[in-house]
Amino acid sequence: MSDRPHLLLVDDERSIREPLAQYLVRNGFRVTAVENAAEARLRLNANAIDLVILDIMMPGEDGLSLCRHIRETSEIPVILLTARSEETDRIVGLEMGADDYVLKPFSPRELVARIKVIFRRVASGGQRVTAPDGATYAFAGWLLKSQERTLVDSEGVSLPLSTAEYNLMLAFATRPNQVLSRDQLLDITQGREANAFDRAIDNQISRLRKKIEPDPKNPTLIKTVWGGGYTLSAEVRKL
Amino acid sequence: MKRLRLWPQSLVGQVILLVAFALFVAQAINFGLLLRERNRLTLTSQTAPLAYRVINALDARPDRWPGADNPWAANPRADRQDQRQRRNVDFLSSQPVLDGKPRPDVAARARALFDDIGLSVRTIVAAEDSRVMPLRRWERLRSRTSGEAPGDRRVGRLRLAVEYEAGKWVLAEARIGNRPPRFGGWLVGQTLILYIIVLAPLLWIGRRMARPLRQLTGSAQQFARTGAADPVDERGPGDVRELTMAFNAMRARIIAMLDEKDRMLGAIGHDLRTPLASLRVRTESVEDDAERARMSETIDEMNRMLEDILSLARAGRSAESPQKVDLAALADAVVEDFVELGSPVTLADSDRAVALVRPQQIRRALRNLIENAIVYGDRAHVSVFQEAGQVRIVVADEGPGIALDRMAEMLEPFTRLEGSRNRETGGAGLGLALVRAIMTEHHGDLRLANRPEGGLEASLVLPA
Repeated sequence: MSDRPHLLLVDDERSIREPLAQYLVRNGFRVTAVENAAEARLRLNANAIDLVILDIMMPGEDGLSLCRHIRETSEIPVILLTARSEETDRIVGLEMGADDYVLKPFSPRELVARIKVIFRRVASGGQRVTAPDGATYAFAGWLLKSQERTLVDSEGVSLPLSTAEYNLMLAFATRPNQVLSRDQLLDITQGREANAFDRAIDNQISRLRKKIEPDPKNPTLIKTVWGGGYTLSAEVRKL
Repeated sequence: MKRLRLWPQSLVGQVILLVAFALFVAQAINFGLLLRERNRLTLTSQTAPLAYRVINALDARPDRWPGADNPWAANPRADRQDQRQRRNVDFLSSQPVLDGKPRPDVAARARALFDDIGLSVRTIVAAEDSRVMPLRRWERLRSRTSGEAPGDRRVGRLRLAVEYEAGKWVLAEARIGNRPPRFGGWLVGQTLILYIIVLAPLLWIGRRMARPLRQLTGSAQQFARTGAADPVDERGPGDVRELTMAFNAMRARIIAMLDEKDRMLGAIGHDLRTPLASLRVRTESVEDDAERARMSETIDEMNRMLEDILSLARAGRSAESPQKVDLAALADAVVEDFVELGSPVTLADSDRAVALVRPQQIRRALRNLIENAIVYGDRAHVSVFQEAGQVRIVVADEGPGIALDRMAEMLEPFTRLEGSRNRETGGAGLGLALVRAIMTEHHGDLRLANRPEGGLEASLVLPA
């Protein structure tokens, strides 16, 4: 990767494409902006693209189809832009192999933050967490339904999770039996460095334990590792 | 007013009950007429033999036919008949005493018979009594073989005395049946047969009519609840079938309109979000930080309003399927999201409270209530109660509450409470309308009440 990452921005709306490209350039990226999927394919072949920002709704070939093509031919990360809040769009997008999605109208700062999270993960050789949404994880009698951000117990009753709890649970479910430090957990769940507030993770852990441990005082699922952090001690199957 | 329990609610039940009642009345009238006719017939059949005996005896009486001109005397066969007749006829010179029950009806009938043949008499008296008759020979034989005590038999007797000339009487008697005619069983039987003949086809037609009507009702109710329903089978009698066809056509049109509305809203949502997104990106080039923050806040607010309008317009046509959800955990998750952002929201501990709901929608409803509570009432206190057959999620605030006469109004779209103390609040006034729409879809209820200790209490009531 060069010092200035090269982004490919694909959006048919000039009113978004141009100011967004300018903003991204101001924030230290190299940006190629195109208005349709056909042009995007040309650029992908011709240039070394580090990340693609892709609008879903486009005339001609749409963003989802292009996203699938990118995923089939390369490892380039993809962020989807969508104007519809319907869950289905998000899920389909993530199933197509997108790394993240942003809902219009979005804050450009947030977009940049997400781009940085992805680059940091790529740089650290971290695993690509493709399609966490839409999947269901089964462990120790529980189901974690990522589509609904919900835990389902053995009786089939859903226990909805808060955003933070869900992010944490998903981090554990996708990395079973790995020891995760507070810093790692913060990075995974919120994309930020640990700081003075890192008691937040401990709070969320104890909330999660209350929900899933048979005896929250004596945790058997989310175990504390001395000096290390936490680990989910269970077999996880992805359904 | 309390309605009579026996009165059926259904159309078919009412028709059948009415027809059964009408049948019964007609049958009773019929029976009355029949009984009267039968009585007249009995009366005539009892009176006629007596009357004719009297007529015969008067015609043949010897003092009327001096010499040998008496045709009855000349005729040996007639004479034999006379002999027999005369056994039951007596000529008297004074009014006989008639024991037993007087029968003026017989007397009147006899006078009519005499009038018919032009015989005029002075007085007629009739009475009914009974007397013991010796058994006939074969009857005695039978009673002996069957071992019954040979006894005499009591039979009914009708006597008729006629004063044909002043002081001259003729008395005739005859046996009559002494048992009243049996009619009851016959009436019951006939009525039953009639009921079967009339009510069975009625029941059949009724069911044929009621089934499509019931399906129609079910489909309409399902439509009202979910905004979608299966078409109703077009069958049954012609007019019911026409109604069904009209209903199905209407259903198809409404569904088409709703689909059209969804498509339109989707397009509007998309088309408005794109310029908003563009504006949002451009605000980043504004130098003044405070100004930029305000601009992006405005854009966020516009987006939230757009979101609310779209949600309300789509209410009742949710793609999410209901599932068993612990509403205590749901409330906990929603409250936690607020707490994470530093909002003043508290949650009271509660036990598991499971209900069949669409969790994303209930999350949305609860979020709206909590946002309102924070904006208008400073803080939100959330609690979950499980009661008989229902779960109640209560959001209480510490604000001024709502005047009673404005409560109903608050549930209407685009209504906002004036004088919110905290800040210039956003929103299009759709929050509570959306909550109510979500509750309606869940067969639940949104209740607003002022708390005695101050503040407003908004409850989501859901069937457990």
